Amino acid sequence: MAVARLSTGLDLERAGIWLLLATAVAASALTIPEFRDPANLANILRQSSVLGILAIGQTFVIAVGMIDLSVGMIAGLVVVLACWILGGDPELTLVAVALMLALGSAIGLLNGLLVNRLKLHPLILTFAMLSVLQGVIFTITDRSVGRASPTLQAIANGSLLGFPLSAILLLAVLALFHVVFSHSRFGYHLIAVGGNAEGARRAGVDVKRVRLACFVISGFLAALAGLLLAGRLGTGYPLAGSGLELDAIVAVVLGGTALAGGRGSVLRSVGGVIALTIISNVLNLLEVSAFVQLFVKGLIVIVAIIVNQPPRERP
Amino acid sequence: MTMIRRLFLSVAACAALAITAGPIQADQAADAAQEAKAAQSVDTSQFKKDGPYKVGVSAGYLSNSWVVFALQHVRWEASNHPEITDVIVTDAAFNPAKQIADIEDLLRQDIDILIYWPVDDSAIADVLKRAVDAGVPTIQAGGGFTDDPGTVSNAYISQWQLGEMVARQLMADLGGKGKIIAMLPIAGTTAAVDQLGALEAVLADHPDVELVSIEYGDWNRAKAKQITENLLQRFPTIDGVFSPAGQMSIGVAEAFDEAGRLEEVTMSPGDEYNGWLKWVAQHGKAGAVTFPTRAGQEAVKIGVKVLKGEPVTRGTAVPSEYIAPADIDGYVDPAAPDDWWASELPPEFLPKQ
Amino acid sequence: MTLLAAPREEAALAFLSRYAIFIVLVLVFGLALAVSDAFLKPAYLGNVTRQIAPVGIAAIGVTFVMILGGVDLSVGAVISLTAVLCAVQMDGEVANIAPAILAACAAGAAIGAANGLVVAFTRVSPFILTLGMGIAVAGLTQIYSGGTARGIVAPGFREFFNHRIGGVLPVLAVAFLALAALGLVVQRLTVFGRQLFLIGSNRRAALLSGTPLAGVTILAYALSGLFGALAGIALLARSGVSNTLSGQGLEFQVLAAVVLGGTTFEGGRGGIGGTVAGVLVLVIAFNLVNISGLPYHMQLVVMGAVIILASAVYGQIGNRSE
Repeated sequence: MAVARLSTGLDLERAGIWLLLATAVAASALTIPEFRDPANLANILRQSSVLGILAIGQTFVIAVGMIDLSVGMIAGLVVVLACWILGGDPELTLVAVALMLALGSAIGLLNGLLVNRLKLHPLILTFAMLSVLQGVIFTITDRSVGRASPTLQAIANGSLLGFPLSAILLLAVLALFHVVFSHSRFGYHLIAVGGNAEGARRAGVDVKRVRLACFVISGFLAALAGLLLAGRLGTGYPLAGSGLELDAIVAVVLGGTALAGGRGSVLRSVGGVIALTIISNVLNLLEVSAFVQLFVKGLIVIVAIIVNQPPRERP
Repeated sequence: MTMIRRLFLSVAACAALAITAGPIQADQAADAAQEAKAAQSVDTSQFKKDGPYKVGVSAGYLSNSWVVFALQHVRWEASNHPEITDVIVTDAAFNPAKQIADIEDLLRQDIDILIYWPVDDSAIADVLKRAVDAGVPTIQAGGGFTDDPGTVSNAYISQWQLGEMVARQLMADLGGKGKIIAMLPIAGTTAAVDQLGALEAVLADHPDVELVSIEYGDWNRAKAKQITENLLQRFPTIDGVFSPAGQMSIGVAEAFDEAGRLEEVTMSPGDEYNGWLKWVAQHGKAGAVTFPTRAGQEAVKIGVKVLKGEPVTRGTAVPSEYIAPADIDGYVDPAAPDDWWASELPPEFLPKQ
Repeated sequence: MTLLAAPREEAALAFLSRYAIFIVLVLVFGLALAVSDAFLKPAYLGNVTRQIAPVGIAAIGVTFVMILGGVDLSVGAVISLTAVLCAVQMDGEVANIAPAILAACAAGAAIGAANGLVVAFTRVSPFILTLGMGIAVAGLTQIYSGGTARGIVAPGFREFFNHRIGGVLPVLAVAFLALAALGLVVQRLTVFGRQLFLIGSNRRAALLSGTPLAGVTILAYALSGLFGALAGIALLARSGVSNTLSGQGLEFQVLAAVVLGGTTFEGGRGGIGGTVAGVLVLVIAFNLVNISGLPYHMQLVVMGAVIILASAVYGQIGNRSE
């Protein structure tokens, strides 16, 4: 990567994901006729929306120099609780949505407070939170419960003029959080904190508050993703969120955001999500064995983080 | 520290919530109603088409030997139909969202029929309905009977009947009295719910048999063994074990053996898991009640009929059979691994050994 | 850590941070005795130790990596792979036992070394790297096995490890304790052991003093993979293996035990002794959850809470004693 940067002057960190996406789309479209099918492209967008929303939240946390491994289980908990409430009364959609978004934000708040107060490493803390939430989900139910309301299902699976509604939701969230991330005072602060927390503190930025806000955003968006997932599944399946946190992190890293913090872009993270979905879609269309797909997924994680490792510290 | 206290309080609150969630009730009447539904006929004319056929298989998971054998039965049966040109398999690895995406991807590949086993029935009900609406018939293979509109026909195995046969045999071997424990698969699955329902129904006829503990071993030999080790500490006497799944029965039996209490206990029959069959052959007791992997083959047979517009029913039961310890030699394969199933698969279709 | 110069209070804190887990172990054991007198029976204690042997053995290797300031989450997948690999290589023949064990160990060490190579020569997060490696290895296991835990365990293999010496102590429990002792020797008495602590506590000083950073890192991860393989063999010996995901999720328990034992995520502290105590505390806690009739999945909540609490407590003590 360093070589590429020197020889061509091309900034792979910024352009890499778009090059990868363009190559993947062009190669697939040329060689696999089913891929070009508009319905297939709509499927790809629909399949990307849950992970896309999670990746946007994860970008905030990673850019501020933290990480959040609890998002998959937050989404899982929301799937179960939302369907449990709505199975009783589908009319309660708005109430359930508000409650779940509050719940996700609260768990994010708890993560942030624990990191700030107890000075715990965010990996360890959110990893432990993942385990706790998984236990809580299984203690609530060990089987599918309830039913998502028709409204949620329509948002998750429906289309407007052939364009998936869930993708429209993703675009709206993306636009809003892109502005927050790249064009707001808070955004500048979070990049400053992620790049050099001590320097930011001296410059008068309230480091703890910025970190707290990032965890709350992550929890909030995890809950939103969970609601969408509930609509897609239609039922409160207890394991629905497992593994999503890793997929989200991989997407962020694929999007050129290093895990060290201080940089990032929500647009590129969503680009990373779409690239991952396309890879899975193409492997399915090419009839690659499921076992090989698992292996390939692991390799992609490893290669992505090696290619996008944080830059060497200047002495 | 207040945060930690708050964390524990919320955990406790959630635990309290859990206690209010009651189990799904299964009973004999439901099983009979299911049989009646399974006997209804399906209008296959809307699916009739000429070959060649492309078969799509959406597996909820493939990392399990029973499922691998069922899939090999699908391939074997497909090879017996020259009009089937292609079998495409996807694996959702226990992730229902991926199974939805897999089925969407399969539909884009113009499959003519979809054979599936679910991670979770209700999670894929909608995408299955979309498949049927698009003219692709769907056949459920090997699970319990499903009456959703998204499932055209079932090659099903009744966990209820399996559970009942196992329970009746256990009662007979116990002589109708004693304390027993139940070792069930993953809590909440149809298998666990129906097996327990059947056991409780049989227990109603045997008031002198007491069910002292119900445990879930997740089809995992190591876990079943660990749970049993703890039960052996908790209960000074255990006269019988209800365990329809062979891979867990071996773990249970081993724990009794190591505690020196194998002589006191009566094991129920397990299924035709080869490791269990070896145990039965060695000890000459308990026997087996089959959970046939040929459900996969049955699903393909039904699928071909549907595509040819021939009449089928909503469900075809793949019946379980009792194998007495004396007859076990006809089924056990001492040279094969434990994680293996007695089947009639020809050698070229057996999984790699 | 400069005990001589430190005021008394700090010395007390340092003492606490080093021995806290042993105090906790005594307390938890006391609680267990109060709940069930089974914990007085030697045979049951042997059982408990044997139950936890696979997790305990894997935790020894992960402790090395965490002293260094790294982590290894691929151990769960390594356990699954090596358990299946070992059984397939045995193929039911006694003569194959030794080659099978060697093959499994080689596979584990190779995966660990691959982790170590990447960590040593790049600046990636070992946490995410080893998570990714875990997925890749899980895929490899499925490709290799075809989805069934095929392979036939040689006669005598499992009987040997489950045999109770003197009718009480299972061989497998002894094997776990022996491996722990071996780990303790490596940690305390070898140059490698000292270098681990040096790199973990002050990477820059280690570099300046000429410590072979890359070599030590690769060796530590290779050892973690090797102990993961031994854990896989132990799992096969303990209960046989009925699927290809038998080690799935065990990395959670391993991490919890190591952190509980006082080896922090930041590195430079802790050790095998604490890890063994952590393993024992965890298994007693799990058995208490079981015996008291709480739902099995409460174990996950207990585990997560234990990780947070232990990290917080050690973090507080660490901050004050420095």
